[in-house]
Amino acid sequence: MAESTNRPARPQRLVGAWWGPAVGLSALGFYASATLPADTPTREIYFNIPQGIWAVYVFMSALVGLLVYGFVRHSSLWSIGKPTPGVLRDVPQRLRNAIRLGMAQDKVRRDRYAGIMHWCIFSSIIVLTLVTAQVAIDADSPLDFLHGPYYLFFSFYGDLFGVIGLIGVGMALYRRYFAQMHRIRWDERLEDHLIIVGLGLVLLSGFFVEAARIMVTELEQHPDWARWSFGAFTLAKGLDVFGFEEHQLLSFHAASWWFHVSMAFGWLGLIVFTRLDHIFFAPINAFFLRTDSPGRLAKIENIEEQEVFGVGFIQDFTWKQLFELDACVRCGRCTEVCPANISGQPLSPMHLIQDLKAHLANVGPAIAQHRHETGDAGREVSPVALIGDVIHDETLWACRTCGACVQECPVMIEHVPTIVDMRRYLVMSEARIPATAQAALENMEMRGHPWRGTALERTTWMEGLGEVPIFDGSQDYLYWVGCSGSLVERNLPITKAVFRLVKESGASFGVLGQEETCNGDPARRLGNEYLFQILAQQLVETFKAKNVQKVITNCPHCFNTFKNEYPQFDGNFEVIHHTEFLAGAMQTGALKATHAVNANVTYHDSCYLGRINGVYDAPRQILELVPGANLTEMQRNLSKGLCCGAGGGNMWQEEVGERRVNHVRSEEAIGTGADQVISNCPFCIQMFEDGVPAIHPEEEGRMRPFDIAELLEKSVFGETVTAGEQSS
Amino acid sequence: MHIVVCAKQIPDPETPPAAFKIDAATNKVIPAAGIAPVLSQFDGIAAEAALRIKEAKGGKVTVISLGAESAQAAIKQVLAMGADEGVLLKDAAFDDGDSYTTARALAAAIKKLGDVDAVFCGRQAADWDMGQVGLLVAEELGWPVAIIAKGVEATDSGLKIQRVLADGFETVEMPLPAVVTVSNEFGDPRYPKLPQIMAAAKKTVTPWAAADLGLDAGSVGKAGARLQLQKLFIPEKSSKVELIAGDTPQEQAAALVAKLVADKTL
Repeated sequence: MAESTNRPARPQRLVGAWWGPAVGLSALGFYASATLPADTPTREIYFNIPQGIWAVYVFMSALVGLLVYGFVRHSSLWSIGKPTPGVLRDVPQRLRNAIRLGMAQDKVRRDRYAGIMHWCIFSSIIVLTLVTAQVAIDADSPLDFLHGPYYLFFSFYGDLFGVIGLIGVGMALYRRYFAQMHRIRWDERLEDHLIIVGLGLVLLSGFFVEAARIMVTELEQHPDWARWSFGAFTLAKGLDVFGFEEHQLLSFHAASWWFHVSMAFGWLGLIVFTRLDHIFFAPINAFFLRTDSPGRLAKIENIEEQEVFGVGFIQDFTWKQLFELDACVRCGRCTEVCPANISGQPLSPMHLIQDLKAHLANVGPAIAQHRHETGDAGREVSPVALIGDVIHDETLWACRTCGACVQECPVMIEHVPTIVDMRRYLVMSEARIPATAQAALENMEMRGHPWRGTALERTTWMEGLGEVPIFDGSQDYLYWVGCSGSLVERNLPITKAVFRLVKESGASFGVLGQEETCNGDPARRLGNEYLFQILAQQLVETFKAKNVQKVITNCPHCFNTFKNEYPQFDGNFEVIHHTEFLAGAMQTGALKATHAVNANVTYHDSCYLGRINGVYDAPRQILELVPGANLTEMQRNLSKGLCCGAGGGNMWQEEVGERRVNHVRSEEAIGTGADQVISNCPFCIQMFEDGVPAIHPEEEGRMRPFDIAELLEKSVFGETVTAGEQSS
Repeated sequence: MHIVVCAKQIPDPETPPAAFKIDAATNKVIPAAGIAPVLSQFDGIAAEAALRIKEAKGGKVTVISLGAESAQAAIKQVLAMGADEGVLLKDAAFDDGDSYTTARALAAAIKKLGDVDAVFCGRQAADWDMGQVGLLVAEELGWPVAIIAKGVEATDSGLKIQRVLADGFETVEMPLPAVVTVSNEFGDPRYPKLPQIMAAAKKTVTPWAAADLGLDAGSVGKAGARLQLQKLFIPEKSSKVELIAGDTPQEQAAALVAKLVADKTL
C-alpha cells in the first residue's frame, strides 16, 4: 500500500525471488562445468519410453485445451460485471506492480515462513518447467544442446530445484497437517490436499525416474556424470544396495515415468479447477491493482442519474472486482489481521470474498444467459439476495475500512471498496442501516456534523487561548479543526495543543471557526455517497472562495479525505497532518521540546495516517526529540498496526460480537507497560478513553491516552493550557 | 386511505445552549446563526405512522405545514420519506398565531383537500411542547381524536390505536375520519432512500394563503390568537455555595444538620 511513500526504502531481501539465486547458480555452474574435460556427457531423451513422445503431446494438448476452457469459463463470469474505469491508466506502474507484487511476490513475503515456503515451491515449478521445456526443445527441434558441460550443469540445477521444491512441499505439509490450527485451514477443501500431496508426488516420482535411469546407464558407466544429478544420484546409491536386476530397474523406470508424467500434467490441470489458478490470476490482478491512493473510494459519477446505487446485485460490481474473486487462494491472511475478526465480530474478509465467488459461480451463468437473450441487467435472475442472503448486513457494518486486509492480501484483492460498494446499496437504495449510524448521518445532513447531542460550538475550543486568527486567504495555512476536534469534549485539549504549537512555530495560519462543516468522510465510509458528494462540493467551494492552499488537519480522516478524495471534486490542496507539521517544525528548530516529560509511552498508528497514507516516521521523530519520552512499540505496529475500532463509521455504531475492538487494542497497549498510549487521531483517543478503563478497571496506575500534540505541548511549554481544567 | 400529516418546522432542539438567545423586546427566539431549523421530531414519527398504513393498505399521504418559506425543507423531508404531496400554508396573516389559529388554518386546508380520511400529528411540537394543535384540529373538523399513540393500525372499519397512559397502555378503536397524535414510543422515522430524496426534490409544494382557504385575515395569526404571550425568557440558573465550618467530619455533619433544620429543609 502506501508504505513506501513516507518511509526510507528498505533493502528488500529475496528481491527478484527465484531468478536472483538462479542467475548466481548459473554463473557458478558454467564456471564449474567449463573446467571439466569435455567428453560429451549426455543422456538419451525418452530413454526406455518409446511411446513417451506421443504421450507427452497428447497430455500437452489436453492441458492447453483445459486451460483455454477454464479461461473462457471464468471470463464469461467476469464479463457480467460493469466497466472498470481507469484500468489502463498508469500502465508502467501497473507493469511494475505485476512484476514486483505478482512475480517477485512482495506481499507473500510479509509472512516469513510462508514466504520461504512459497518461494521454494514457486521457483522449483518455474525451473523444472524450464528444465522440461529444454528437454522438449532438445528432443523435437534441430537444436541439440543437452550434452557436454551444459548437460551436467542442467542435471545439477534440475536436481537442486527438485530438492528445493520438496523442501517447500515439506514446509507446506507441516503447516497444513502438523502446525496448530492455522489460518490456511479456516476454509479447507479437498483441493488443498490434492495440490500439496500431488506436487510432492510429482517431485518424488521425478527423482525415482532419474534414479532408475542412472542405475541402468550411469552408475557404473559414468559415475562422474551421475554425481551432478546429486539428488537422484544419492537415491540411486541408496536403491543400489537392494541389487535389482536390470530388467526390474527398466520396468520400474517405465512405471515411475508414466506415473510422473501423468501426475505432472494432472497437477497442472488442477490450475483450471482449483485455487492454483492464482498462478495466472495473481500477477494479472497485481496489474489491475489501483495505482492511486488506497485511501480513495471511487466516486459515483452523475449520481442523480443512476438506476441502482452501489452494489446490491453481483453484476453491479466492476469486472475487476469479479476478477479478483478468482484470485483468492483462501490463505486467510486478511481474516487474520481483520480487527473485526480478531474481536469475534461477524466479518471475515476471506469468507466474504469466497461467498461472493460462490455466488458468482451459482448465478453468473444464468445472468450471462439472460443478458445475452434480453439485453437487460438481469437483476431479478438471482433467486437469493446478494445482501441479506449471501452477505449479511452486519458483516458489512463490521468493517472498519482500516485496510489491513488489503495490505496483507498476497494476490492484491481490494476488499474495502467492495464492502463500501455494498454499503452504498444498503444505505442509498434500501435505507437499511443501524439506528445509531443513521442518527450520525441524519445529523450530518441537518447539522453538518456527526456528533448528535453535542452541547459544544465550533468555537468553544478557542476559550482561554487569547486571539485566534480567522483564515482570510492571506495566511499560509488553514488549520482545520474538524468536527471531532471542536465538538467532542475530550478532543478540545488536543485542538488547543495543536493551535498553541502551530502558533509557537511562527507559522502564518488561521482557522474557519463557525464556517467549518463536516468534510463528509463518515458519510462516504458509511455508504452515503450522495451526502458525501454534497458536503464535499460545498467545502471545496468554501476552500476555493477563501483561497485555501495548504491545510493542517487534526484528524487523519479529514486528512485522508482532503488529500486523496477532494481531487475528485477538483479540490487540490496541499494537506498535512499535524504530526507532519510538528515534526517539520522541530527539525527546523521552530519548535523546541525542552521540558522532560518523563513518560513511558507506546505509539498507536491510526489506520488513516499510517497504513493508508504511509505517515509512520513523523510521529516517531517527535517522540525521539521529546526529552524523557521512552517509546516501547506494540507488537502490531507500522503497517501491521491494529485499528482502534472506530474506522469506517464504527465510531457511531453498536458493536456486535464477542469483544470490542478497542478493548483488544487497549489490552495490547497496556501490555507494553507504558503509562501513556500516544496517538494522532481523535477517534483513536476516544476509543482508548473507553477501552483502557474496561481492561484496567482500577484508576491507580492506569495508562492514559494522549494525542502526540498534547505530549509535545507539555514538552515545549512545560504545561498544557488545559492542565488546570484536567486536574479538577 | 388518504392521510394528512401535519408537520412543523422548529428551531433545532440540539442548538448548543450558548447559542440559544431570546430577544426580550419582541418576546421572540433569535434564530441561531448557522443552525438550520429542523422538522419537529414527533411530526417525523407521525409521518412514519402514516406511511406504514399507506404501505399496508394503499392510499396516499399529504403533508401540510404552516410556516415560513423555510418550512419547505420540512415538507420535502416528509416527501422524501414517501409522502405523495405537500402543502405549505404561508401568509403574513398567519404570523404570531397560537395553537388555536394554527389548528383553524390546518383544518381549513384539510377541508379544502376534501377526501381526507385521517389526520396524523406529532404528540406535540418539540419547540413549545404544548400539544394542543392535534386536539384543536379535531375540534375544528368535528372528528374524533386519539392522542399520544404508540401504535396505529388500520382496520376494516377505522383505526385501532394503542395509547400511552401515565400507568400503562390502552387500546381504542375509532371510526374514520379521525385525528391521531403520535408519540415517540411509536418508533423512529425511516431513513429516506436516495431515489425518493431525488423524487421529492423534484416535487412542487402547493402554497396556500389565508384567502385560498377562505379564512378571514382577522381570524388567524396574531389577530385571531386567544393566547397572549406575556414574557419569554431563559430561566436564570444561579447557585450559592456555603462552606460548612467544622474541624472534624462529625462537627461538619452536625453543623450541616443544624443548618438544614434552620432552613426548614429537614
